[in-house]
Amino acid sequence: MRTVSRRARIVSITGAASVLAAVLLPGVAQADSASPSPSAARSVFTIGVLQDMDSANPFTGITSAAYEVFQMEYPTLVEYGAKDFAPVPGIADSWSESADHSSWTFKIHPGLKWSDGQPMTAKDVAYTYNRIINGKYEQTNFGSYVTAITKAEAPDDLTVILHTKTPSPIVPHPGVYIIPEHIWKSIDEKAVVSFKNEGTPDAPSVAGGPYYMIERKVGQFIRMQANPNFWRGKPAVDEIDFRLFKNGDAMAEALKKGEIDFAEGLETNVYNSLKNQPNITTLASAPASFDELAFNTGAALDDGTAIGDGNPLLKDKNLRAALSYAIDKQAMVDKILGGDGIPADTIMPPRYTQWHVTPTTPMTYDPAKAKELLDAAGYKVGADGIRTDAKGNRLSFRLLGRTDSSTSQKAVQFIKGYLAAVGVEANIKMVGEDNLTEIIGQGNYDMFEWGWGVEPDPNYMLNVFTCANRSYKQDGAILANVSDSFYCNPAYDALNAKQQVETDVAKRQAITAEMMQMLYNDAPYIITYYYDGHEAYRSDRFTNLVNQPDKDGPLTFQWGTWTYEQMKPVTAADAGASNNSSGGSSIPWLPILGGLIVAGGAGFLLARRRPANAASDDRE
Amino acid sequence: MALLTDTPARTPSAAGGGWANPSIRYAIKRTGAALSTFLFVLIFNFFLFRILPGDPVALYTRGRNVDPESIRALEAKLHRPIGQQFVEYIKNPFTGNGPSVKYNESVWDVIGPSLWPTLLLVGTATIIATIIGVWLGIRSGWNRGERFDVVSTNTTLVLYSMPEFWFGMIMLIVFAVGIGPIPGMFPTGGLSDPGVDTSSPAGWVNVAWHLVLPVTTLAVIYLAEYSLIMRASIIEERGQDYVQTARAKGLMDKMVRRDHAVPNALLPTMTLVFLNLGFVVGGAITIEYVYSIHGLGSLTVDALQGPDVPLLQALFLLFSGAVIFANLVADLLYGYFDPRVRT
Amino acid sequence: MTMTQQSINESSAAALGARDVVKARRKASRQRFTTSFRQNKSGLLGLTILLVFIAVAIGAFFIPASSLDVTQVTADPFLPPSLQWPLGTDDSGRSVLLLVAKGAQISLLVGFAATMLSMFIGTTVGIVSGHYRGLTGGVLDRVTDWFLVIPYLPLAIVLATVLGRSLLNIIVVIGVTSWPGTARLIRAQTLSVTARPYLERSKALGAGNLHQMWKHVLPNVMPLVLANTTLAVSISILSETTLSFLGLGDPTAISWGSILEQGFAAGAISQGAWWFLAAPGVCVVLTVLAFNLIGRATEDILDPRQETA
Repeated sequence: MRTVSRRARIVSITGAASVLAAVLLPGVAQADSASPSPSAARSVFTIGVLQDMDSANPFTGITSAAYEVFQMEYPTLVEYGAKDFAPVPGIADSWSESADHSSWTFKIHPGLKWSDGQPMTAKDVAYTYNRIINGKYEQTNFGSYVTAITKAEAPDDLTVILHTKTPSPIVPHPGVYIIPEHIWKSIDEKAVVSFKNEGTPDAPSVAGGPYYMIERKVGQFIRMQANPNFWRGKPAVDEIDFRLFKNGDAMAEALKKGEIDFAEGLETNVYNSLKNQPNITTLASAPASFDELAFNTGAALDDGTAIGDGNPLLKDKNLRAALSYAIDKQAMVDKILGGDGIPADTIMPPRYTQWHVTPTTPMTYDPAKAKELLDAAGYKVGADGIRTDAKGNRLSFRLLGRTDSSTSQKAVQFIKGYLAAVGVEANIKMVGEDNLTEIIGQGNYDMFEWGWGVEPDPNYMLNVFTCANRSYKQDGAILANVSDSFYCNPAYDALNAKQQVETDVAKRQAITAEMMQMLYNDAPYIITYYYDGHEAYRSDRFTNLVNQPDKDGPLTFQWGTWTYEQMKPVTAADAGASNNSSGGSSIPWLPILGGLIVAGGAGFLLARRRPANAASDDRE
Repeated sequence: MALLTDTPARTPSAAGGGWANPSIRYAIKRTGAALSTFLFVLIFNFFLFRILPGDPVALYTRGRNVDPESIRALEAKLHRPIGQQFVEYIKNPFTGNGPSVKYNESVWDVIGPSLWPTLLLVGTATIIATIIGVWLGIRSGWNRGERFDVVSTNTTLVLYSMPEFWFGMIMLIVFAVGIGPIPGMFPTGGLSDPGVDTSSPAGWVNVAWHLVLPVTTLAVIYLAEYSLIMRASIIEERGQDYVQTARAKGLMDKMVRRDHAVPNALLPTMTLVFLNLGFVVGGAITIEYVYSIHGLGSLTVDALQGPDVPLLQALFLLFSGAVIFANLVADLLYGYFDPRVRT
Repeated sequence: MTMTQQSINESSAAALGARDVVKARRKASRQRFTTSFRQNKSGLLGLTILLVFIAVAIGAFFIPASSLDVTQVTADPFLPPSLQWPLGTDDSGRSVLLLVAKGAQISLLVGFAATMLSMFIGTTVGIVSGHYRGLTGGVLDRVTDWFLVIPYLPLAIVLATVLGRSLLNIIVVIGVTSWPGTARLIRAQTLSVTARPYLERSKALGAGNLHQMWKHVLPNVMPLVLANTTLAVSISILSETTLSFLGLGDPTAISWGSILEQGFAAGAISQGAWWFLAAPGVCVVLTVLAFNLIGRATEDILDPRQETA
């Protein structure tokens, strides 16, 4: 589920008007030789981003910007549709599972070409899958998508067969980027580790998606050129540039002045300053992410060995649940997000209507109730106003916030205030996100504030709370896995095993709902809010941008490249033109989509994104 | 801020009685001192980060997909005896600590493109600050106590009390975002507009336009310092016997100033300009951050997050090296122009 | 206090008892200082500003915690200055006036504490390196040289990164990075004091090194230390502001620097919320200016020959 990672990374930058990885800038060094002569015909769409791609090698890069570029460059067998994330054909026109559940067969679209003119066939697909299945380094980003697959074969140029060891609804997943065999076969398992894969004006990257890379300056910009061989047709916009900004303010000003055409991942205050500006259209997209207050519910390794120095009082789920009543989520939405979000309850945001669960007994803000429950659970108010348990241990906890995010910096202040109101002390410490990942993995915390980007299928998020996904030991070192609350509940794990092989949607929904309710009641997380994504663009210059999902989804950083394929520059004689789709959008993909939605569980894709030691990267 | 506390210390200490050519002896001594300082920085830089808590392997692999094999390789590298690591580091102090954690590239590859923006910013600001500062200092020092002197001294004193980044932010709000009737005419950040060919004359104009606010900010803060020291030197020179004599002889005031007082008074100021580079570099860190300029300063702020230790170490070394070098140049210049210090 | 005065005093002291004479002499010099300071306009101005800020910092203890608690304030964020909110509100709806008042506490505390540390290190190193001329003095002198040259902000950043972010650490970082200037100054003064005849005599009478440094050198360098202190506080406050702005301060404490960081991060610039950034900045400038004015006045009085611009 790279998508989790991608979304997650976006999240991290929204808050980070404080410093982030990447640095702005046009830069003195801005391409001179490479700059194409600005002929009137050439259209360039410049996206301002706050975080750089960490590597242009799809086996290495993990940031959201990196994934955005990867999916522009590399096709997938199946894609998430623009309308509602339903699967639609990628380079595979159709796919089916064998009757005995031992393989999946994909029919590849005929006549495909890579950007360098070489044919793109089933052989490339088989090569990619086999390389990941048999690889080691290649497993890190994509291994989780191929766990059920034993072998890929291409009996002819248009057929791929993926052999599976267990029945699995997750095989047709948009997760694996198909790479050109004729390029990558010369990059062996050793070379791939340090392979940069950066396109240059003289040697652009070889891609099969709508764009290929022609230049990258670390910390400054990435330039992508339209792929004339793209199988859905060459996109209308000739070039898409990602330009890095140091902070949201500078990015917003650049948009106002027309230095860039699109600003992504805007923080609330900056976003508000762009509303009602001439020629700028703003969009607060429905939340696909949440922030939470997480607890150390008893840090331990996957084998149960206790680790870390978490306060044992937090093992008490009654305490955690009582604290749920102490947090005024609505006020946090209003004050921290400026209203651009909704108070949260369970792990799937309401945008994913199929999976979202409204808890049976919502624990909404009620400090009196919180106090009552704490009293009932035996935590009496001490002389200093802080509660203690029967043995006199004070309810005083460390609360870690993230220096990288200004929303986090605010959120911990709110949490501290709300907890203090019910007699619980929170001592704030701010650390960098990278650092926090490390601290969490070792179990050396009591509480922290962070969040997740959530992908359309609940499998990944559900797996965050399993016993098996707690930290583990390798070569004497404790390594983090995805679990960051160390929640471990055998009943929950049993349900999780069931949902993972359930191909009937309705049945699976019932199981996952029960799991989410369980999480809500046991409160390893108090999920504070789902927050909107903020985007703004120059509507005087570009049109036909696509929301995913339709109406209120984001326009860029989607699960797919719909906007990049379909948007058009606004021309002087634009009046009627916008009705006729041109370029890449000429293919009537909507009907195709409708016709090809795969029934049943095949449509719901799940997979664990990555082996354990990469857990950190999935955090926002 | 070097002026008030450090000035007395900045005067190169007099060397003992010499048996060789005093100039050469002096030069060798100063160079030796500079080298010893750099050596100290080298050692300091190495050991300081070794006391960071936590497993160094974790530090280098944070937030990154590293396969077990690479982890073992890294462990083998980082868990070696400290002496061995030190030798490795000394062989190549910049890259000896490994690639940048954040950018996953050699620190030189990361630092390289950031060098020019900083040099451009700091260089331009220093030149402007020096010229204006010296002029202000001469005028107010020569006409001490007059209206011009009072106004300029008080103004410089206030400027001198400002955090440079704050001044930068205020400049941004007023002249880039715009406030009230003032339109936001200057760019809010960066060094050039996207797509501008910076090797063309039009590109230079574009860069110059982007440089106006950050350079003004830095220059205004530092010219305060230069004008104060220039003023003090002029006042001192003016009190010297030879100036009094020259004036008594009826030489024109302007000529005395131009031919005698100013050249002599310039020396301490020019020395200060070099000595001060360390502080200007510090100012550049926050100014680049505020103005989103992709230079060494921004890079430092980036490296803080995480932290990206190898990058931070290399930057610290680079900043220190540059300042030590500038100090050496100042010492040598001083020794050359003012033989008194050599004795 | 010139050398002749000293000698005269020393010799006529026999009948009265040296201690009383010294006391009387110091009292007289304190009075002289006070009188001169009263006549120094800019020094008085600085002192007045400083007293105002100290009063504000003390007054800030009476600000109810609820008015700075983000969960309890009710005003809208980013309100411009008005009668109700004289300096407007921040991004959480807190009064910038109250924030700035609260910030005075930490900024002044860090300013003073870091200066104390810096003065302590600087004076000790300065006196010791001036007093012992052998290896000890040479080594200390060299170390002072090293720290003098290392660029201040990069060093502070590196130290703050390694130490972690807390109130104590930021004090340590500033103290540890800003002492060499003082050490240099004190060393020079120590050298001149040590050369005075009475110290030679005291040495001859068998006074130990510690005694000499404590009883004779220290009192003589003290005025210089004090003058230097006021200037050093201004530098410490500026440093605290800069480091906090870069996110290296105590993230839970409100200081002028941290308010600036908060404002910058919250997009005050694109919001045009100038009051949010202007208020803490003006406080920094005024306080630093106050210390500079006092420091210059003190220097002028203690060493009238030196024209400190």
